[in-house]
Amino acid sequence: MVGSLEPHLEALRRELRAPDPAVLSVLLALLAVAITLLIWRFVQGRRSSRKAVLLLGLCDAGKTLLFARLLTGKYRDTQTSITDSSAVYRASSDKSANVTLIDLPGHESLRLQFLERFKAAARAIVFVVDSVAFQREVKDVAEFLYQVLVDSTVLKNAPALLIACNKQDVTMAKSAKLIQQQLERELNTLRVTRSAAPTSLDGSATGGPAQLGKKGKDFDFSQLPMKVEFVECSARGSKGEEGDADFKDLEKWLAKIA
Amino acid sequence: MLDFFTIFSKGGLVLWCFQGVRGPAAAATAPVNALIRSVLLQERGGNNSFTHEALTLKYKLDNQFELVFVVGFQKILTLTYVDKLIDDVHKEFRDKYRNEFQQKGTLGILNGTFDFKDDFMRLLRDAEESSKVRAPTVMKTFEQSLKSQKTVKCMIETRGEKPKEKVKNKKNKGSKKEGTESAAAPGKASAGDKQPSTAGEKEELTKDEILQKNREEFFRRHMRAGEKSSKSPKPEAQKEKGKKPRVWDLGNSNAKVLDYSNSATNGSTEAGPVEDFDPDIALGDRNREPGRLYDLEYESDEEVEEEKVIQNPSKPSKKKSGLGGMFGMLKGLVGSKSLTREDMDPVLEKMKDHLIAKNVAAEIAVQLCESVAKKLEGKVMGTFTTVTSTVKQALQEALVQILQPQRRVDVLRDVMDAQRHRRPYVVTFCGVNGVGKSTNLAKISFWLIENGFSVLIAACDTFRAGAVEQLRTHTRRLNALHPPESHGGRTMVQLYEKGYGKDAAGIAMEAISYARNQGFDVVLVDTAGRMQDNAPLMTALAKLIAVNAPDLVLFVGEALVGNEAVDQLVKFNKALADHSMAQTPRLIDGIVLTKFDTIDDKVGAAISMTYITSKPIVFVGTGQTYCDLRSLNAKAVVAALMKA
Repeated sequence: MVGSLEPHLEALRRELRAPDPAVLSVLLALLAVAITLLIWRFVQGRRSSRKAVLLLGLCDAGKTLLFARLLTGKYRDTQTSITDSSAVYRASSDKSANVTLIDLPGHESLRLQFLERFKAAARAIVFVVDSVAFQREVKDVAEFLYQVLVDSTVLKNAPALLIACNKQDVTMAKSAKLIQQQLERELNTLRVTRSAAPTSLDGSATGGPAQLGKKGKDFDFSQLPMKVEFVECSARGSKGEEGDADFKDLEKWLAKIA
Repeated sequence: MLDFFTIFSKGGLVLWCFQGVRGPAAAATAPVNALIRSVLLQERGGNNSFTHEALTLKYKLDNQFELVFVVGFQKILTLTYVDKLIDDVHKEFRDKYRNEFQQKGTLGILNGTFDFKDDFMRLLRDAEESSKVRAPTVMKTFEQSLKSQKTVKCMIETRGEKPKEKVKNKKNKGSKKEGTESAAAPGKASAGDKQPSTAGEKEELTKDEILQKNREEFFRRHMRAGEKSSKSPKPEAQKEKGKKPRVWDLGNSNAKVLDYSNSATNGSTEAGPVEDFDPDIALGDRNREPGRLYDLEYESDEEVEEEKVIQNPSKPSKKKSGLGGMFGMLKGLVGSKSLTREDMDPVLEKMKDHLIAKNVAAEIAVQLCESVAKKLEGKVMGTFTTVTSTVKQALQEALVQILQPQRRVDVLRDVMDAQRHRRPYVVTFCGVNGVGKSTNLAKISFWLIENGFSVLIAACDTFRAGAVEQLRTHTRRLNALHPPESHGGRTMVQLYEKGYGKDAAGIAMEAISYARNQGFDVVLVDTAGRMQDNAPLMTALAKLIAVNAPDLVLFVGEALVGNEAVDQLVKFNKALADHSMAQTPRLIDGIVLTKFDTIDDKVGAAISMTYITSKPIVFVGTGQTYCDLRSLNAKAVVAALMKA
């Protein structure tokens, strides 16, 4: 083996010593390109690792308005989103760290598709809840939240979760504590019903193999592998369109995770 | 005249809004939201207008910058300038704010102020004026119309002569087009061209000859230059001097002459002329066993030849398109190219045929492809993406979107809710004959029992022979599988039946009150199968559902059905809507797709059914045993659908 390599090494050495620079320059160029590619991939990998904050929620929860307010502070009219929007958000003026805010559509047909696309890049998730319509929609909210929580990628990365109870400027809005209690109760029931649903066509269970929280005890948000917080906010603000939005807690939380 | 005009991004931010004649500021959001939810998100974007209450909404998508332009006006008005107005506004808005979109992206949209009012008012004024002013059109003279240049003869189709005639027609018209400037030319050219056609044709009908002659006269009278053409029909016309009586070959001859039967052979003992009888030729195969019937021999060669013949004409076109396609592909690979309709059409055709081959209903495949085309028109493709891959990707997303349920699909959760309110949860199964209602009802009751709910089966199929006995057998079996001892002493399944021939709606009502009294958790109502065209039976079904107000109305459809699915669902929904007294009628809430194990990957029926009703597929039946109940997995179905 070594004997067969020797003549090759000899030939290589002869080539390198030869005054003809063509082969040498080609080899050097290839080496440089290879090193650049490696460095680039390394940097790319590190840079794109999870710098996104996803805004999730049901339809009409107020995600797009929250998105606009966080980025510009101004009030904008909004319609139902069909596609995602993303922009870079600077948490506070002195910190250099910044995150990418991604506003995903909440409509039932689209929400899972977009979640699939962006869940791998999520460093944190803001789940926006409409506090006024919560009583009516509690089952739908819980189902979407359940789908987000049992997703395998989300469980693996365990991004920080913030449940923002939006629309607090309306008098009938429920408080964050009440929403937390109701969600815990609902998710407790959902654990049972979703795992009992008929298995999917290709064999994988619909509820996912993951079990949410601890088996014997009632479900509690503290049982999740990620940090969960509840805040109250109002994207519209108490003064309506002219004034500022009321989400100091939300901004503080964003500054913390950035 | 317009109610409103909005421009908003696909991400949901309203860029500019114009409030027209009436309405408060927020009146634009509700109809536009309805438009988005019912049209764009359900892939019905084929035609670009939508009605919502009293308004008609027309919209246009800009796929390059991800914008939507919507205009709304009263339904009773028919404004002709709206389409043109949208196109003009689209062009102008895009050109004016191109920078914001391209360079600054989302932040540009957020921060930018879009002061478009003056331009819009100008465009609106122009559009309104253009619709009012229209010069009175001058009527065409007869010579200018196409009719004067067609002869009766070339409108008659004859087998075998058709292509020849068509070619001649084209020659006719081609020569006509050159000669339309001069008024004399059309008549002369058509008359001149008629000569080779009439000379070449073997059959000549007398009527046409006369007609032709009359036309010659007519043109000659109006134009003096027709002498040349009038000479040639004369030799043909001279053949027919007068009317000659028709002579039949065998007429006026004796019956004897017509009798060809040989008196010797019929019924006589004399043997007729004996031909040489070669038994080998008559019997054919020498080696056959006497008395055995052979199987049909199936020649696959002919079929192969047929396919070759069919493929050959398509091959040269493919080759041509292959070369052009190669260059086109190279062109498409480098640089950013925006998609046009022409690029997408061949791919969409192929995809449409592929979908139809996978058992998607034809009209739905067409609508889907239209909608995808609308969504992709004008989109800028990235580098190294081909048109095919972009279209396939868009179609896949559209299909997954259709199959995602629009509402929660969790029967157990709803049953628990009803349990808490101490009333039974009522499920009704409806569908045409033979789709598997009773079988799947048994499967669903097995599933419910496994989860600890007690079930009452109401046998409201009072028509089909053996329907009640079938359900009784299922009940017995289920009770054997889950005896009362293992569930705390209560029977998990019970059958409520009143025999045959009774009113189904009455039985259902009694069953529900019985369930409430006895504390059953779920009532499953089995109805008789009925064809969607059978009006009295559809009325009876609608009455059953309207009177008993079930919690869940499930339509059972088999996965083998093709284009029929559309018809069945539309008619069932229509019947339920027509015969209900309530303000919001109870329509079909969900679909059970049965016999899914019989189709390998021709899963198109799932798409047809969900597209038509926009209701989710709640269960999928994959066999005849109790465990063959599944839930739908949208991604798996779409993968099977898109697989080549």
